[in-house]
Amino acid sequence: MTTHRYCDGIGRRDLLRVGALGAAGLCLADYLRLAEAGEVSGDGRRAKATSAIFINLAGGPSHLDSFDPKPQAPVEYRGEFTSMATNVPGVELCEHLPKLARCADKFALLRGVSHTLTEHQMGTKYMNTGNRPLPSLEFPGYGAVVSKELPSPPDLPPFVAIPKTPQVAGVLGVEYAPFSTQGTPRPGQPFTVRGITLGRDLTAKKLQRRHELLGDLDAGFRADEENSGLLRGLDRFSQRAHEILSSPRSSRAFDISQEPESITRLFPEDSLGQSCLLATRLVEAGVRFVSVDHGGWDTHDHNFEQLQGKLLPELDGGLAGLLTALDLKGLLETTAVFVTGEFGRTPKVSTNRVGRDHYPRAMFVILAGGGMRGGQVIGASDARGEAPASGAGISPDDVAASFYHSLGIDAREEYRTPTGRPVSIVRYGSVVKELFA
Amino acid sequence: MSLRILGSLVLVSLLAVAFVSARGEKVIRPADDRFAAADVQEIPDFRRHVLPLLGRLGCNGRSCHGSFQGQGGFRLSLFGYDFPADHQALAGGDSPRADVAHPADSLMLYKPTHGDEHGGGQRMEPGSWPARLIHRWIESGARGVEQGDPEFVSLEVTPREVVFTGNGEQSALRVTARWSDGSVEDVTPLCRYQTNDESIAEVDEHGVVSSRGRGDTHVVAFYDSGVAVSQILRPVSDRFGSAYPTVATPTKVDELIVAKLRMLGIVPSEVCSDGEFLRRVSLDMTGTLPTPDEIEVFIADTSPDKRSKKIDELLTRPTYVARWTTKLCEITGNSTKHFDDNAPSDEYAMHWYEWIARRVRENVPYDELVAGIALGRSRRPGESYRDYVEEESGFYRENDPLDFAARETMPYYWAKHTSRMPEERALNFSYAFLGVRIECAQCHKHPFDRWTQADFKGFTAFFEPIGYGVPPDDKKLYQAMIDELGDKGNQSQRVRARLTRAQRGEIVPWLEVFVAPPGARVEKGRIVNDAEAAVPRVLGGDEIAPEFRDDPRQALVNWMRRKDNPYFARVFVNRVWAEYFGVGIINPPDDMNQANPPSNAALLDHLTGGFIEHGFDMKWLHREIAGSQAYQRSLRANETNRLDEKNFSRAVARRLPAEVLLDAIDQATAGSAELARAATDVEQRAIGPQGGAFVGRRRYNDYAATVFGRSPRDANCDCSSSNEPNLLQAIYLKNDKELVQALETKDGWLHEIQQQISKADRGGTAIDTAALIEEAYLRTVSRLPTAAESERCAAHLEQIGDPAEGLYEVLWALLNTREFVTNH
Repeated sequence: MTTHRYCDGIGRRDLLRVGALGAAGLCLADYLRLAEAGEVSGDGRRAKATSAIFINLAGGPSHLDSFDPKPQAPVEYRGEFTSMATNVPGVELCEHLPKLARCADKFALLRGVSHTLTEHQMGTKYMNTGNRPLPSLEFPGYGAVVSKELPSPPDLPPFVAIPKTPQVAGVLGVEYAPFSTQGTPRPGQPFTVRGITLGRDLTAKKLQRRHELLGDLDAGFRADEENSGLLRGLDRFSQRAHEILSSPRSSRAFDISQEPESITRLFPEDSLGQSCLLATRLVEAGVRFVSVDHGGWDTHDHNFEQLQGKLLPELDGGLAGLLTALDLKGLLETTAVFVTGEFGRTPKVSTNRVGRDHYPRAMFVILAGGGMRGGQVIGASDARGEAPASGAGISPDDVAASFYHSLGIDAREEYRTPTGRPVSIVRYGSVVKELFA
Repeated sequence: MSLRILGSLVLVSLLAVAFVSARGEKVIRPADDRFAAADVQEIPDFRRHVLPLLGRLGCNGRSCHGSFQGQGGFRLSLFGYDFPADHQALAGGDSPRADVAHPADSLMLYKPTHGDEHGGGQRMEPGSWPARLIHRWIESGARGVEQGDPEFVSLEVTPREVVFTGNGEQSALRVTARWSDGSVEDVTPLCRYQTNDESIAEVDEHGVVSSRGRGDTHVVAFYDSGVAVSQILRPVSDRFGSAYPTVATPTKVDELIVAKLRMLGIVPSEVCSDGEFLRRVSLDMTGTLPTPDEIEVFIADTSPDKRSKKIDELLTRPTYVARWTTKLCEITGNSTKHFDDNAPSDEYAMHWYEWIARRVRENVPYDELVAGIALGRSRRPGESYRDYVEEESGFYRENDPLDFAARETMPYYWAKHTSRMPEERALNFSYAFLGVRIECAQCHKHPFDRWTQADFKGFTAFFEPIGYGVPPDDKKLYQAMIDELGDKGNQSQRVRARLTRAQRGEIVPWLEVFVAPPGARVEKGRIVNDAEAAVPRVLGGDEIAPEFRDDPRQALVNWMRRKDNPYFARVFVNRVWAEYFGVGIINPPDDMNQANPPSNAALLDHLTGGFIEHGFDMKWLHREIAGSQAYQRSLRANETNRLDEKNFSRAVARRLPAEVLLDAIDQATAGSAELARAATDVEQRAIGPQGGAFVGRRRYNDYAATVFGRSPRDANCDCSSSNEPNLLQAIYLKNDKELVQALETKDGWLHEIQQQISKADRGGTAIDTAALIEEAYLRTVSRLPTAAESERCAAHLEQIGDPAEGLYEVLWALLNTREFVTNH
């Protein structure tokens, strides 16, 4: 669901002027033309990542029962699981993450990430934008910012959500909204996204003929485009849809059945595993940003049963497969991976329901690839996982700034709305240095 | 000296610093003035001075001590309204932060004046007036709020309107607070300020507003629970005031809009053409495209009042009923997925739709319609449970069913399992019927509005006694009837079985919406005695009188229907307006918070007043809006109104709502017989019961409805429905199997053409392709093609060589134009 609360007079259809480019005298059309080239230029770019994968653990995963185990804490805190060693000395994970334990050198684990929003929607917005939600402004999700900042091939959707995402385009405007697959792929089956594969009588040649006709018939509104973000956005989507339909690249990118067995065997057959496989394939094809939604983490009841029986094994297999496959394909260096929920869960187990409730003060976040150094734990929570071990911990804003940094996006950059209101990509937060040390 | 004597001394000194306002009232001078002198004798008040000062310094904000965890072991209530807790946090405990014995060493004074030892940095200078104020409060005993202290009454800001002419110009606001003891204080230095658009105006912590850009916005002042706004304006061109051109204002609505435009130097666009008007009003008012025949007749009509006649005619159509019933279903949250297994959800949702549709059709006054929902209960006064189930079963009977829509009330609004808790009901209700978002006040003082937790609690109390479940007074009878049926299976299978019996004419038991007796509330469908239940209180008003204790909702409805109710009529008027203009006079249209004032208050007042005056006549409202010239303006902008999207100086293109767009595709591709029924037959339409009632059910068109942003009706926000475009929509319109199906169906227009062409071929006659191209235009963009367009399409047909396929592609292309998918 997208919400639009602009007490400040920003219309929902307003588009942002291209921040830095605007100053350099480029209009939107120029910028789009540049972007259509589709390649992220390597010259003078210090950042390594050119694309990103975001895994949203919807509901809020229990930090104590996954990536921040507290084997020394009293049982009512540490819960039912024990911890296990990983391939990085000194780093331990929950016993139900064995595959990730074997590739802990591939990711950085941030502990003691801390905020104060205990409600799903608010927490989700915070973790999916890097900005504490404001009633007056809809901050764009990571995928929207990345697809705006990094050009992508015209015949691929820049921002794909499997099957959906809480990340919205917000103030960036509709052009940067996600392309949601609405479904998840099944093992070995060609995954077609509805509408992308051409209908039986529709050839690329016919499509081109129709497209030219449409271009001529749709000229009536050209004069009004300047005053309407909606009209510009509609046109942009129409162009993009045409590119996607007329090139085989998109349908090939979505078809996981074309992956070799050496890659597919890395992934479990459940929907998260197959979504992760699709994510690697899409990134390989040139999609800039892929988000994968994995729900069910809201374990108020039967926390341990749900984690052990389903959630942890799925995440373990899917994420380990993702990191390994990216590495094998030589994509890990150029792909920034970000895994988070909206918050952690209460360190003390509620005895009557054997569950844990919402708890944002000491959550974990996983970052990998894109030049971010794996095999390290940054930050810590205290002895019972109740708060950051020292100070205010790492803020979601810091995580956001770091993630953008790996993609070569300056989080302090400001966009301007047509009325001139400045909106920076991340309002607070600074890069976590250890990630890039 | 005792505190009480000190208190009376204070009063004397307060009067000494008062000055006389323009109204002839004594206004106490501002705190920065009174506390400037080192030897000030006045004792500041905790609620009036200390807490607002802390609020202004940011101490009780979310990122500081107002956070729910507090900060540095010190917590204040968020946005400061929990006086006892805040007083306790400052002056209570063994080592209070306000140290009466050693005022100067008090943490609450020391920390914020010494930045290096305060996480929040230095908030005030040592020896400054705020520091002195706090010091005086501590040394005089750090008194909190006591029983009998005056209550806050209202907040006023002057000037109410500032007109700037150039960048950097400044204007100082003055804010006064009124208390129940009659005192009035200048609280300018004690307020929090906010600008609603920093690119137009900025405001500093002293309430000084600076012009930053052209256009208009509001600056808001917050103090205690008060919110006051000042409109800030700077003309966007030099054609303002006396330099403004003459603009016709045939209606009161236009007069009020142009009055604002004149101040802003915005010249409105021309009036749109008849064709544009017809398409626009048909889509907005009836959710339906005009048919080709209708367009031709309307264009040919030469009578001067044909537009208003068209409006009157559209208001009589079934499509008008469907379109607005669907809107009301959206606002009230009618969805099959809101009912649990105990209820036949499809039937409930359909009854809900039909009940509203009947009233929209008969143009029942809006307040009466809402009263029927708000007062919903299953049984009439005195009706026995047995009589009730007999009637209820009759609604489902296939043979000669009873008429659900004839019921006086529509109880299912209260049967939603997604809002069984009184708090959820309070949020639903205030959103749907008042446009007030009181969520924030569930946990803390609302940051942008007057609402406090006490307001939330008082409002929630209305819904405590409302239940949905087994009849409380006839549980045995209910159980006996269930046992007698002896249906097997799980809950939903048993309900289906019961429904089947009812359809066959049997009388079967049903759950009911009931109201618990006074002194009791409902918990999980059961009545629980609760002697300490909160007394219901309307938002911003009094506790309800005892005579309403049988059903407190009656008092709530009476309050809503009062002429001076600030929300009920207003939010409906604003929502209807927003459907016609794409933007509310208050925007977002369902957010009536005080810090979000209307862009044109006089306009909203006029329409709201008129609506009430005309007995909540919905059709009056539609006529008033659609009949204005403002609604009939062209999309074409001029230099002065190019950027205007909130003052109604031009038409703004809006993507058609999901339901309307899907229907429009069906209609544009329909065979002639179906097309002729477009204005009257709503049964299978997305804007009709299919979309209005069956949201949430897995249906064939659910995919498209989701992609195009139909409201899932599960959140208390009008923004749940989205008219934003996205990539999937573009792909749908080009290549989705449903679109292909619509184009190729055997009942469709293209199939008809195909047959005509074959017939003509066989007969050796020529087919008039130019006329068919014209019809394709009329079917989609509701106008004839220009000469150039006709030529282009003809060339396309020529190029393909097969006229049927050529027309297929022309129609396909037209469905993909922005002109088709938007209202403009």
